Amino acid sequence: MKTMREERKNGMRRWALLVMLLLSFLATGAIAAQAEPELATAERLRLGQRMYQEGILPSGEPMQAYVNGDVPVQGTSFTCVSCHLHSGIGSFEANIAASPVNGRILFQPRKPYIKGFEYVPAYHKYASHFPERPAYTDDTLAELITAGIDPTGRSVVKVMPRYDINDDDIAILIDYLKSLSDQLSPGVSDTEIKFATVIAGEVPEASVEAMITPLQFHISRKNSLALAYKNHPRMARMAYNMIGPEIAGKTFTLSRWLLKGAPDTWRAQLEEYYRAEPVFALLGGITDGDWEPVHRFCEDNRIPDLFPIVDYPVISSSDWYTLYFSRGIRQEGEAGARYLHSMYELFAGQPLVQITRDSRRGHALADGFHESWGNTGHPAVIDIILKEGEPLTPEQLQQIISEHKPAVLVIWDDEALLAAMDGLTVSKDSPKFILASGTYMGEGLWKIPEQLRDMLFVTYPYRLPQDEVRFDPTIKSVLQGKPLDTTDPRIIRQACIIGEVLDDALVKMRGEFYRDYFFDTIGMMADASFPLYERLSFGHGQRYASKGCYIVQLGKGVKPQLERLSEWVTH
Amino acid sequence: MTNFLGPLTFLLLFTAGLFCPGQSAAEAKYQRSEVSISVPDVVLINQDNEKIPLRSLLQTEESVVIDFVYASCTTICPILSAGYANLQGKLGPENHNILLVSITIDPENDTPAVMKKHLERYQARPGWIFLTGSRADINTVMAAFDAYFPNKMSHQPLNFIRTTEKGKWIRINGMIGGNDLLNEIKKARMQ
Repeated sequence: MKTMREERKNGMRRWALLVMLLLSFLATGAIAAQAEPELATAERLRLGQRMYQEGILPSGEPMQAYVNGDVPVQGTSFTCVSCHLHSGIGSFEANIAASPVNGRILFQPRKPYIKGFEYVPAYHKYASHFPERPAYTDDTLAELITAGIDPTGRSVVKVMPRYDINDDDIAILIDYLKSLSDQLSPGVSDTEIKFATVIAGEVPEASVEAMITPLQFHISRKNSLALAYKNHPRMARMAYNMIGPEIAGKTFTLSRWLLKGAPDTWRAQLEEYYRAEPVFALLGGITDGDWEPVHRFCEDNRIPDLFPIVDYPVISSSDWYTLYFSRGIRQEGEAGARYLHSMYELFAGQPLVQITRDSRRGHALADGFHESWGNTGHPAVIDIILKEGEPLTPEQLQQIISEHKPAVLVIWDDEALLAAMDGLTVSKDSPKFILASGTYMGEGLWKIPEQLRDMLFVTYPYRLPQDEVRFDPTIKSVLQGKPLDTTDPRIIRQACIIGEVLDDALVKMRGEFYRDYFFDTIGMMADASFPLYERLSFGHGQRYASKGCYIVQLGKGVKPQLERLSEWVTH
Repeated sequence: MTNFLGPLTFLLLFTAGLFCPGQSAAEAKYQRSEVSISVPDVVLINQDNEKIPLRSLLQTEESVVIDFVYASCTTICPILSAGYANLQGKLGPENHNILLVSITIDPENDTPAVMKKHLERYQARPGWIFLTGSRADINTVMAAFDAYFPNKMSHQPLNFIRTTEKGKWIRINGMIGGNDLLNEIKKARMQ
């Protein structure tokens, strides 16, 4: 280590020399040169971020490290962000705590308590996980990164990788850590946190109200607490103990950002709203069209959007700043393919025909089906596209069956498919399975004729209605007297979930109101059952919380219920 | 007080899921125990989307090591997976005598595609497979290994090494180093 320290000192000398040269160059007054240090800083931060998030050295080579004593790992498979997360505030999971690594905390002494929160049990418990230490310096921090030694001389836990990085690269990484979560995000002040929700396009007023009512309920309830915290000592003491002063005393605001006109103008409207009122995060949001402009705006400005209510979310494995309820309607296509895969032995080698209405819904379902089916390695499906506006007729359907003799027929169409199926008779050429989408069929799901109910398998991405009623009292309390059936019940439930997850996340953030930590925190939440969804699951980088879908059939009788044919998740 | 029922309700709801950070991050030595396990007769899915009957898979002549992980874990799973990658590295490309089996505890997210990417990230070689399945089947497997965690965020670092005695496994609880893991596998071969 002595050699490393000497090398580091030499490195420091090199930097000092560089800084002196730079200063003397700037002193010449060359205007063009004034831009270079800023560019260099930006570049250093970019390189530092790449080390932190991707485990790639400035040279382009992967960082090398050891964990658990003798286990060599490459930084690309074991990145800093894996444990310390995007915000650098760290993680708690599986009884292992990864400490904060943002400069603001690293370069302060650590006590077994958080100043100002000494008597908040949850905060105290959190702080007690980390031993006391003096503030890091650049040198001691470098020692930690390379040798796992903290400023007290203790060796930190073995699961913290020891990185084999040279001094110059360590300096770049430390510069990045200093910039990480160093100032509270926009939209947060000592007294309030600002939120907005986006209403994009011509959304029916009832749908907007179904979203706004529960959101506003949560905002108002929080603001009542903030008022009580200020004016009522007993409530203040309870709030202090239970959720901490940082969140208890703050009020929330919720603005409505209405986007009008063509979608290609929405970005400019969003920028204008944001310029006028920088918000901490977007809550929900709703559209009758494409969410992509809002998604992209959030991505580019690093603004979290919690659960927009959309049928067609942007599908990405790397985008970060929008957390969706699910992959939208295409998820039903994916689930349908997985379900059929699970019983492939029953029709192996026989044709599978997919009939798709030439509509956005139809194509989303078909795309999802294709993607999942393609991953199975089974023979390709036979695709037939139905023109929009031309209903599928019984004759057409019979002709398709006679021509292709499919063992499986997938029909992505609205309830008009029922009329086409009405004349189907059971014969040796009949498909073994006919699959449709519950969402696309809409109310048609409940109109399936008795004779077709055994034949038609339907994707259904929510808890079954007969099981959902147990959440009605909770929902009614949010509506505060408004009748449950006058607005869209699904949107109401989704908006209630937004409020619950928001509350939970903000408490767990312990006053660290950084946008990145908002989603980091949600990523550490336990999977849970909510209204509408049997299970929402979270995780680092997971951006589609509901992965589930049932395959159902409509039961017998005049008041039929949906009957489950599959588990919530099918593989 | 009535006036504060709303805020009080908020407070209770707000804190209903208040986090419990768990145990100290102090250095953990691994714990070793011998356990009897009846492997359930379930069919899981591997990273190539193939159906894998678990019981048949584990009835191999090779040594078998199992862990329970999930791809988006931010703490112990990367270390467990790095351990497997390291073990494969120590064994070299010719050694096919150890079957490494990672079973997801997050089947909702860990699809074959996600699992494949995870294995690629750790440069897994043949002989290391990643399994998912229905939530019910995964729960059954976790319960059979006494490794059931209703909340994936509170799981533990577990490895199971099959011994030569039928139904007997070595349960390793804790972060185990590469050399220790290899030694435990060798010991299990003698049992």
